[in-house]
Amino acid sequence: MTRAENMSKGYQGGMRLAEVYIPIQTYGETFDLKNALMYGTIFPELYRPYRPVHRNPQ
Amino acid sequence: MHDYRSMVELLKEIQALEFGVYELALFLDTHPGDRRALEDHNRLVSRLNQLRKAFEDRYGPLRLDSESPYPYRYINDPWPWEIQY
Amino acid sequence: MWFYEKKLQYPANVRRCDLAMAKFLFAQYGGPDSELSAAVRYLTQRYTMPIPQAKALLTDIGTEEMAHWEIIGTLIYKLTEDATPEQLREAGLGDHFAQHDKALYPHDAAGVPWTAAYIQATGDPITDLHENLAAEQKARTTYEHLISLTDDDGVIATLSFLREREVVHFQRFGEALMQVQEHYQHKHIFC
Repeated sequence: MTRAENMSKGYQGGMRLAEVYIPIQTYGETFDLKNALMYGTIFPELYRPYRPVHRNPQ
Repeated sequence: MHDYRSMVELLKEIQALEFGVYELALFLDTHPGDRRALEDHNRLVSRLNQLRKAFEDRYGPLRLDSESPYPYRYINDPWPWEIQY
Repeated sequence: MWFYEKKLQYPANVRRCDLAMAKFLFAQYGGPDSELSAAVRYLTQRYTMPIPQAKALLTDIGTEEMAHWEIIGTLIYKLTEDATPEQLREAGLGDHFAQHDKALYPHDAAGVPWTAAYIQATGDPITDLHENLAAEQKARTTYEHLISLTDDDGVIATLSFLREREVVHFQRFGEALMQVQEHYQHKHIFC
């Protein structure tokens, strides 16, 4: 498809406008099982630990 | 009491192994053609079955479709929410 | 069908009785973005999913949410185990005690009972999967609020586990959405 054809079909940069894109995960290394349970995932690339904002000392 | 602690430790091993199985199963739901993930999943399943069997032989059924000695042992305390892990 | 497994998904401990925290945790037991809502939402939507990947994923995540509901129930049970009616009253759980004693009734942190109005199943798989992506984010945010409300390291560890599951589920629902979108594009072109 030419760029103009792409545009007319609603594509831009290979992606369609007004549509959600999420990268498909590829299988790589995994945490050992004990740690995976503590972290909540077996996948290092999906591990996003939360650092709580400290409360003001009253 | 000593036996209670070893029961809990074995339970935690099962939890870790089963978590790995579940996580890989969700991955496989959207990646049914990933051979390496499937092999890892199947390997963990086989270890989980062994560990679950060892637990049940010693501490009683985890599921109602597991065999039980007399009297029916599935009902015994502690239930999951009562255990100090 | 389902079989119950007599074990928690995660070894949930609490360090001490904390009634105020128990009250807050009802947000995830019977609130809008609770584990109960998640389970009923996914297990309801799965019937009208067009591809096997999405049918499987909604079934399996929906089932995992039931296990998370049990974990939240366990935390509340343990946090309130030794409480007297007077202590419950002081912690703002007097209304709860009047109607439910120490039973785990599905209401939110303010006592509002759970309702199916918290969830949707539109029959449009794309729409339903977008709802699920949003639901996972809302639950993740709620867990962050709850983590900020306690210093009990047992409760924090358990809530951190549950929060991370929302991140993983978001990725999986995203993948399913990509596959469903692709499914419809092919259908559109070839039918």
